Amino acid sequence: MSEFLGYERADGSVGIRNHVVILSTAPYANDTVQRAADIVDDAIPLTHPLGRCQTKPDVFQTYRTLLGYATHPNTYGAVVVAHAGEIVDGDELAADVADTGRPSASVNIHREKGVMNALDATVDAAQEMVQDASAQRRVPADMSELIFGINCATSDTTSGLCQHKATAGAVWRLIDDHGGRGVFAETPEFFGGEHDLADRAVSDEVREKILDRVEYWDERLQATGYDVRGAQPTPDNMDGGLTTIEEKSLGALVKSGSGPIQDLIDYSEKIPADPGMYIMDTPGHGAESVTGIGAGGAHFMVISTGQGHTLSNAVMPTIKITGNPHSRERVPEETDVDVSEALVGDRDVEWATDQLWNEVTDVADGKQTLSEVLGESQFAIHRIGPST
Amino acid sequence: MTDYHLEVVEPEDNVATALREVDAGETVTVAVGEETVTVDVLEDIAFGHKLAIEPIPAGETVRKYGKSIGNATEDIDPGEWVHVHNVESNYGRGDLAEKGATA
Repeated sequence: MSEFLGYERADGSVGIRNHVVILSTAPYANDTVQRAADIVDDAIPLTHPLGRCQTKPDVFQTYRTLLGYATHPNTYGAVVVAHAGEIVDGDELAADVADTGRPSASVNIHREKGVMNALDATVDAAQEMVQDASAQRRVPADMSELIFGINCATSDTTSGLCQHKATAGAVWRLIDDHGGRGVFAETPEFFGGEHDLADRAVSDEVREKILDRVEYWDERLQATGYDVRGAQPTPDNMDGGLTTIEEKSLGALVKSGSGPIQDLIDYSEKIPADPGMYIMDTPGHGAESVTGIGAGGAHFMVISTGQGHTLSNAVMPTIKITGNPHSRERVPEETDVDVSEALVGDRDVEWATDQLWNEVTDVADGKQTLSEVLGESQFAIHRIGPST
Repeated sequence: MTDYHLEVVEPEDNVATALREVDAGETVTVAVGEETVTVDVLEDIAFGHKLAIEPIPAGETVRKYGKSIGNATEDIDPGEWVHVHNVESNYGRGDLAEKGATA
């Protein structure tokens, strides 16, 4: 039995970090959240422009995403900060967090009679949680607990030829050898490879789900009246040699390997308990797809980049791997694993996979990723419809 | 001699990916499955970009990973740079949607 050292939660999950998060339920609480996090060392602020004047599908999605972070395996406790009475209800969110056995607190700016009182209450609650979290110790846990997220970032033509193969090798090592789970996303980046992907589904129902979602995204993009080129592939993708979304997709899918797909789940939906590989339906927009996968409960994420990238998440550590010998020069302080010797040197994919796997197991045990040390993070909830 | 810095992913592909800077005027030999193909390079090819390894007539499928990555918008000769100036996508084509001409 292989183990990692993690933090046990009352709900049965095991985290690889022990974070306290401070979340806003609406943009008008963002500043209070940010100020409180500036004061309380080690508290993570999660702010966004949503949670108000949204239609129901977006309300559910915003709520589910915030709850996903507040009850993430890596989260010890959460302070929810609301502005007033909101359609994303702060008290309800804090109560749902408490139901998982995590410390939680709800602060409301109107109820506190102002931002200074709300700041005081937020800092008080977060300070206590951070100190209590610091007293918790890591304990051995089975690696089958772990969920391995994967995502592309600024793909180029090296992605599908090298680093995505190492990423696939590592994620399937967790699934096949340790009974863990994997998840990938970015549905518009299945364009051109969707039939081979759908053929990997464990059932006809999942197969149809994959093909339907791809068609839905293509129709949605066509409805704009414009050629998607420029949005997909992006200008930096094209600089790196990628010509069309099909070429980008066929490369992107390499990172998912070739094993069976258990299910396709919605944006920010909790990743199911059974072992195996899952798809989350997200856009290809990196900050949005990574935010969704984090909300789904992935413990960590491997970001397989071509041209180099800063894409990071504060709650779910991100390990950046590249196989492009030039990209480490572009973003040296955030490139955790460089396997370019497997592309242009004498090393092979097995070596590259081992490099990544060693980093993954170290990060699970507590080693900080480069972006964690720098405090880099982007939080972007995908929006479905209009504001009203 | 076969140049392994020019990668053809599947034998049915009609493009190779350059894993080094390739200069116009070079003659390169690339591995295509068990075979090799020799091409006179007509344009400079930047790291990561693609060159045609066989003639690709306008409208024909450009193939990489053994699959379509789009269609040629003009005749492409072996050794030419293959990129956004001479290939178009079959997905997300809102510009063509009104004409009902997308894939």
